[in-house]
Amino acid sequence: MDNPLTLEPLFHAGPVPITAPVLVTWAILIGLALGCRIATRRLSLTPGRLQVVLELFVTVVDDQIRDTMQRPPARYRPLIGTIFLYVLIANWSSLVPGIEPPTARLETDAALALIVFAATVWFGIAAQGLRGYLKTFAEPTWVMIPLNLIEQVSRTLSLVVRLFGNVMSGVFVIGIVLTLAGLLVPIPLMALDLLTGAVQAYIFAVLATVFIGAAVGEHSPSPETAKDLPQ
Amino acid sequence: MSIDWWTLGLQAVNVLVLLWILSRFLFRPVSDIIAARQAAATQDLDAAQATRAEAEAALAAAQEQLAGVAATRAQMLAEARSEADRSRDQLLSEARAEVEKLRTAAQADRLHRQQEASHAMHAEAAELAVDIARRLLDRLPATARVAGFIDGLAEAVARLPERTRAGIGAEGPVPLRAAAEMSGDEADHLRERLARVTGHPVALAVTTDPTLIAGLELDAPHAVVRNHFRADLDRIRQELLKND
Repeated sequence: MDNPLTLEPLFHAGPVPITAPVLVTWAILIGLALGCRIATRRLSLTPGRLQVVLELFVTVVDDQIRDTMQRPPARYRPLIGTIFLYVLIANWSSLVPGIEPPTARLETDAALALIVFAATVWFGIAAQGLRGYLKTFAEPTWVMIPLNLIEQVSRTLSLVVRLFGNVMSGVFVIGIVLTLAGLLVPIPLMALDLLTGAVQAYIFAVLATVFIGAAVGEHSPSPETAKDLPQ
Repeated sequence: MSIDWWTLGLQAVNVLVLLWILSRFLFRPVSDIIAARQAAATQDLDAAQATRAEAEAALAAAQEQLAGVAATRAQMLAEARSEADRSRDQLLSEARAEVEKLRTAAQADRLHRQQEASHAMHAEAAELAVDIARRLLDRLPATARVAGFIDGLAEAVARLPERTRAGIGAEGPVPLRAAAEMSGDEADHLRERLARVTGHPVALAVTTDPTLIAGLELDAPHAVVRNHFRADLDRIRQELLKND
């Protein structure tokens, strides 16, 4: 088995090395784009089954954002919904034989965490202004500024490490079991991996919501609520 | 441990592209259709609420109108009852008055008829009595039907005023009606008695009138002196009828 921390390019597009996570992500991207285009082409006030599922998904995302941030969800819905959907499908892509989930690679998780970090800063400044956002680092006192800066970095790193560790370990365990016990034994572990993938997608999306909510203002809940979530 | 920065950058770009795609083709249309449905539901609810308000207002108006109709009906019933009572009382009073009037008229008519009947009966009785008396007196002899009344006639003339008495026979023969034909003695006796009471001789123009039954009637210029049964019976009959 390859070292999970090393990534070999499959081919090069000019100077750019194209690795497996990028390729899988493109496949997910194309699949989601086509699926959404087809699914939302004929929306109506009297929904069909597929439309009901889509509306349920959007409604659940909205409710989650509204409950966590105490704000109208429209502005944050695309980011949170995209993160959840991408992480979920990426995690579950391990079910396809020969496919390694992109989230089992550090680069993908880091990219996601960086996007969340950038969104936190962007929405924080948009909501409170640059000065107001920077002031939040001096709360409750200026003494906390170093700690708050470290917190910004550490919670971003925790996002990366949490997702990477859980997904990579699942893939790694299933690979080991497959080499040791043959065909049927890994099935329960794969089912568990599905559950773990869904939970990790939910955790990543909720943590992103909490971080953005903490950045945008007083009405949002404290980041302390993140501690209640499973690690 | 090494990080492939190209992969990291590409994955970040990929996620951002996916973010744009999902935002464009999933979240926006779905949230739009949800909002449209909510707007339609709100509109339907508003319309239903407006309709309900209109219905409630119409119901309230109908109830108010019904109450007004009931009040008007009660008032009209009361007025009709009062009017009926008044009409009944008026009709009753009119009927009573009419009955009383009819009863009074009937009573008066009955009394009148009774009086008429009584009067007729008395008249008939009087006629009958007179007729009986006349028939009975017809049986008297002719001399008795004149001679017995000569003194009475003379006394009646004597009771006349002096001036009236003086005028009797002054202008010629005095008409004298006798119930029966007078004899010469009876005529002489009468002239003698009249000459005594008047103080001068009286010429008589004697005529016979059986309707007198018995007696004489002197027709002086200013007085009529009667002494006969016919006048007595007429007086008796008048008295009888007057007493009725």
